Amino acid sequence: MSSDITKDTWDAYCAKELRVLGPILQKLGYVLDTEQPHITGERYLMEAATNGRKLILLGRRMKDGIRVVIKTTPDPEGMRGLEHERDCRRILQKINFAYQIFLSPEELLFVKKGKRLIAIQRFIEQESTFIARPLKEQFALSLKAFKAQEAAHATTYGHKRLISRTFGFMDGRDYLDNFDKFVKNIERELPEESQLQRLLKKAKSFLLDNRETIEKYNGFLTHTDFVPHNFRVKGHDIYLLDHSSLRFGNKYEGWARFVNWMALYNPPLAEALIAYVGLNRTPEESLSLKLMRIYRLGEIIWYYTSTLKKCSGNLHLLNQERVRLWTNVLEAVLNNTEVSMEILDDYRQKRDVLRGEDEKIRQKDLH
Amino acid sequence: MKIVLATPLYPPEIMEPAPYSKEVAKRLSLENEVTIVAYAHLPETISGVRILTIEKHQPRFIRLFSYFVTLLRTAHAGDVIYAVNGISVELPVALVALVTRRPLVFYIGDMAAHERTKRDPILRLIESFAFSCAKKIVTEAPLARPEILPFEPHPEKAFEAYEASWNSHLRHLIHVFNHVI
Repeated sequence: MSSDITKDTWDAYCAKELRVLGPILQKLGYVLDTEQPHITGERYLMEAATNGRKLILLGRRMKDGIRVVIKTTPDPEGMRGLEHERDCRRILQKINFAYQIFLSPEELLFVKKGKRLIAIQRFIEQESTFIARPLKEQFALSLKAFKAQEAAHATTYGHKRLISRTFGFMDGRDYLDNFDKFVKNIERELPEESQLQRLLKKAKSFLLDNRETIEKYNGFLTHTDFVPHNFRVKGHDIYLLDHSSLRFGNKYEGWARFVNWMALYNPPLAEALIAYVGLNRTPEESLSLKLMRIYRLGEIIWYYTSTLKKCSGNLHLLNQERVRLWTNVLEAVLNNTEVSMEILDDYRQKRDVLRGEDEKIRQKDLH
Repeated sequence: MKIVLATPLYPPEIMEPAPYSKEVAKRLSLENEVTIVAYAHLPETISGVRILTIEKHQPRFIRLFSYFVTLLRTAHAGDVIYAVNGISVELPVALVALVTRRPLVFYIGDMAAHERTKRDPILRLIESFAFSCAKKIVTEAPLARPEILPFEPHPEKAFEAYEASWNSHLRHLIHVFNHVI
C-alpha cells in the first residue's frame, strides 16, 4: 500500500487484518481486546513516518490473562522494521560501550505465521502516565533516560563498525542535508507562507554556521522519538517501547525532540531541561541542543505540511494549525525566547475543537 | 612550567577521565603552559590550551602509532608529561618518556580501565611497564563537579568541597611536578 493512504483505506485495512488475526492469535494462546485505540484516530497519517505498515494492538495471554502488546504485519517492509527493532533491542544489551542497560518489555513471542510476522511483548503497567506525574519526578525520569542514552558513545573504529550494522548513524552532513530537504519540500508545498520560508532560511543558515558544533557532539546513542508515548514508567524504571528509533547521532537529538514536545505539553519541564544543560554543561552543549531543536522543528513542520494533502475537513484545519504552532516555536527558539502562553492556549483550544473523537480516545492513555 | 597532558578520553566524551582531563588542563593552564594530546575528533576547546587530537575512527595500531608520534613531537618541548591511565595511552607514553627522557607522572583516573587491566595478563604487563617508567603515580582524585538541579537548592556546600578538593589536588600536582623535573 502506498504512503498516501486515506482514512477509509486504513480503516478497511485494519478491519480485514483484525478478522484474519483473531483466529491466528487464538491458536497462539492470545486474544485481542475489543477496543484497539492504537489503530484509530490520526494513526493512518503516520504510515509514511513508520518503517513499513504494521498494526499495534492490545490483547491478553489466555492462560494467565496478562496484558500484551501485539505488533504484526504481512508487509515485507513492516517485517523488516519489526526485525530491525528486535535487533536493536538485542544489540543494545550486548554492546560493550553501553554502560547502562535500557529496559525493554519482555518478549513473549516472535513468530512468523504464513506470510505474517507477529511480535508479542508484555504490556508494561504503569501507576500513572508520565505527564500526570509531579514535575520534579518527570524531570528526574527524563534526565535519567537521557543520561542512559548518552552513556553509549561510539567513538572508536571498532565501535563504529559494530553499530553501523544495526543502528543508523547520522553525521553533521546528514543533518544539514535532511534539513535542506525539509526546507525545499515545505517551499514546494506552501509557497505562499512567506514568514515560514523566511524563518526556515534563517534556521538553515544558523545550522550551517554551526555545523562543527553539530558534528562535535555526534556519535552518541539517541532515541529520535523519545516522547511519553514511546516509553512507560514502572517504579523508577523506564521501559523503551520503540527501539527502532534508536540511532547514533547528535547527543542532543533525543533531548531536542523531547523538549520541543514538552514546549507544548509541559513548558515548565522543557524550561527545566534547558536550564539543566545551561547550568551543568558547556555553552557548546547548550548550542548543540538549540541546533537540534531547530532541526527537529524543521522536520515536524515538514511532517505536518506533508499530511495536508492526505486529509480533509477538521483534520486538515488542525494540521494547518499545527504547522502554525511549530512555526511559532521555531521562531521562539531562533530568537532564544519562549513561545507565549497565548499562542499555546490558542492552539490547544483549536486542537480540542478540531480533534476527532476517536483520536481523543487514542490520545487518552498515550502520554 | 610546560606540561604535556596525555589522556585517552577527553570531552565531548562524558565518561571519566574525560571531564577530569579538561578540568585539570583548564586549572593548570592559569599558571602553566599546557598541551593536551588526546584521542578525539572535535574536542571541546579551552582558552589558552593547545589540544592535539588523534582521530579515533581508524584501526587500533594506526591510532596508537599516531598517538606515539604526536606525543613524541610534543614531549620534546615539555618539562613534564602528565599521563592519565588507559591502555591506549600507557604504551605510547612510556616509550616517549624513555626516548625523550622527560619525567613522566601517571594519574590513575580511570579506575574501570585499571580494574580491567588487572584481569588481562597482556594489559597488566603493559601497565606495569608504563608505571615503571613513571617518576610518580598519583591516585588522589578531586571530587566530581556537583550537579545543579532546577528543583533543588543550589549545592553551595558541595561546591565549596569541590573547589577545596581541586585546590588540594593542584597543590599536590605542582609539588610532584617540581619534585620530578
